Amino acid sequence: MSVNLSTAAFYDKSNRYLTDLRGQAAKLQEQASTGNRLTTSSDDPVAAARLRSLSRGERLAEIDQGGSDAAMAEMSLVDSALGSAADIVIRVQDLAQQAANGITTDSQRIALGVEVADLQRSLLTIANGENGSGHALFGGQGVGDAYAEAGGVVTYQGSGASKAIDLGEGQTVTPSLTGPDVFAFEAGGTATDLFAVLGALSSSLQGDGTDPVAASRTALEGLSAGLDRVTTAQAVVGSRMNWVELMDERRTTNAELRAEETKDLGTADLATTISKLQEVMTVLEASQASFVRLANISLFDQLS
Amino acid sequence: MASDLLTIGAAGAKAARAALDVTAQNIANASTEGYIRRSAVLEEVAGRGVFPYGSDINLSGVRVGSIHRNADAFRQAEVRRTASDLARSNTDLSALQGIETALEDTAIFDSVVEFEAALQQLSNDPVDPALRAVALARADAMAGKFNIAAEGLDAGVDGLHFGAAADVGQINQLGAELARVNVSLARATNGSTDKAALLDRRDLLLGELSTHADSAAEFAADGTVTVRLGGAGGALFVDGNVAGTLTMDIAADDTLSFAVDGAAVSISGGNLGGAQAGVANTNSFRARLDTLADGIARTVNQAQAAGADLTGATGQPIFAGSGAAGLAVVMTDGGGIAAAAAGSPANSRDGTNLAALRQAVATLDPAGDMNLLLFDASALVTARTLSNEALGTIASSAQIVLQQQAGVDLDTEAANLIRFQQAFQASSRAMQVATDLFDTLIGIR
Repeated sequence: MSVNLSTAAFYDKSNRYLTDLRGQAAKLQEQASTGNRLTTSSDDPVAAARLRSLSRGERLAEIDQGGSDAAMAEMSLVDSALGSAADIVIRVQDLAQQAANGITTDSQRIALGVEVADLQRSLLTIANGENGSGHALFGGQGVGDAYAEAGGVVTYQGSGASKAIDLGEGQTVTPSLTGPDVFAFEAGGTATDLFAVLGALSSSLQGDGTDPVAASRTALEGLSAGLDRVTTAQAVVGSRMNWVELMDERRTTNAELRAEETKDLGTADLATTISKLQEVMTVLEASQASFVRLANISLFDQLS
Repeated sequence: MASDLLTIGAAGAKAARAALDVTAQNIANASTEGYIRRSAVLEEVAGRGVFPYGSDINLSGVRVGSIHRNADAFRQAEVRRTASDLARSNTDLSALQGIETALEDTAIFDSVVEFEAALQQLSNDPVDPALRAVALARADAMAGKFNIAAEGLDAGVDGLHFGAAADVGQINQLGAELARVNVSLARATNGSTDKAALLDRRDLLLGELSTHADSAAEFAADGTVTVRLGGAGGALFVDGNVAGTLTMDIAADDTLSFAVDGAAVSISGGNLGGAQAGVANTNSFRARLDTLADGIARTVNQAQAAGADLTGATGQPIFAGSGAAGLAVVMTDGGGIAAAAAGSPANSRDGTNLAALRQAVATLDPAGDMNLLLFDASALVTARTLSNEALGTIASSAQIVLQQQAGVDLDTEAANLIRFQQAFQASSRAMQVATDLFDTLIGIR
């Protein structure tokens, strides 16, 4: 077939090639300047779908991290509250010890009893401590204070279980303990709690008619069991803190993996993009130059 | 009749002049759309010998027999067919890109994730009024995004309807114009410049018609054309000097249907074919979006009804309305989110029902569905872009192949200019020789 390239066809063809090259160059330039390989999902539907899943994972992990941070903060509060409670119990043990020996005078016992009463109030304040959101630390999921005092009797009014916090990946942690978990125990076969033990000791020492020495000895038994309970609770909270830290590390690792995959999928590699752009620009310049030269050749120029 | 050198020379000069005119016309119309290169077909004029002078020389020169139009009906048909395919693909693709934009740029996916995240955050402290307000605000934002996306899809369909109505108007105009050209063609003499110009006009109109709808053309010997819409087996649209009327009907579900003079016709090519495909695609994506929106509203509202809100009362619906366009948040106070189990007292920190709600939402997986919806839309755009590029190349090649045969090449025309100028000069020279011969005869003494 003889080639009769019509003038219009020549310009059409050149126009198409040059437009096509310019389009490629513009796309590469956009990738280089935004740093993103994808402008719309249709540039690479599979990668775009994966990127959306990754961004969702990232967003939900942020919430998990928030929950984890809140749990850590609450556990620190619980831990320090438990430490103070233990200090109080140890001080009361000290006082009970003094009262238990027979040589203490009545007035000295009364002074000891007053101090025990003060310590009981301190313990109540600690037990009614609040977390960052204003909820009772040891009140479970109840509303208001964990313990209420009425006529010298301290009673638990929270709920039976503490609120668990979601750490993601189906894992939860319960950052706090309920009041009975920390303060209630059995002494001499009967259920009691630290408030009752301290209350009984204080009133006996202040002369309610019971034998103060016997009462002090009974109290020592209870205090030792109570101290066990408080320190056990402290150990539980400590191990839970470790667990949360472990989950934090895991979350960080996952976030790094996600970031890596996001980078691989959605980021334009600058070196590759720029060298491709250079290549296209070279071809474009060559096409333009050859177009100009070809378009300038006309038989009419040779006629005179 | 004997030969006459002067007549022969004059005829040659005249023919060369005519050929130069045609060449100049070609040069002038080198960039005219639809112009097909003409060439002057020259014929020898020679008398027949009459008895008893049968062996006498009987030459009378040359004349322009006809103006040839270098058109190839097959290539022209190819250009029309490929242009029709390309126009359909263009309209279809731009509708799909509109769908992708409506779904993606409104960031529905992100708003669904934000809603999930807000519920998750609330679960860590179900009584926090700030977290409750945030969850409700996220629900409201999500409903808004669904509404915007639905509006975007509707706007796309409106655009398709508008474009299709304009196409129908243009098709009717082209049909009427073709009928008029048919009348002129029937009267014009074959081989005349008038006929060539009319044929150019006819082919240009047919080419334009094919971008609006798939059509089939049949040509009579005199160049008149019979046009059918909807392919070779379609409805008769232009027959002789009669053009039909194409009408469009929009059904309640937005789909388009067409009829020529009241008789239904199925159109699958050109802009109209693309508009039909675009409406069908939009409908399918809108149905999926509606299902998703309804699913979210139903799941959340059901879970709400199973729990107790901050006042201890049974949870009320958060969402109302149906479909993506109708989805709306009716709850005004974050306290209404039923986080606690049914029967819980007021201000309960219990999060049992919120966990159930989150579980129900996780089972429904609206983010996953939305991701899939976006993936399907973008994958469709990618696939159609590829086929659109292929169709563009095919249509462009067909156009170039036709141009190579039917278009004007300025270099060829420049060569023709010289050639016919030389022919003119040579014929003039022949006339000069005739004069010289006559002078010689006169000069005999």
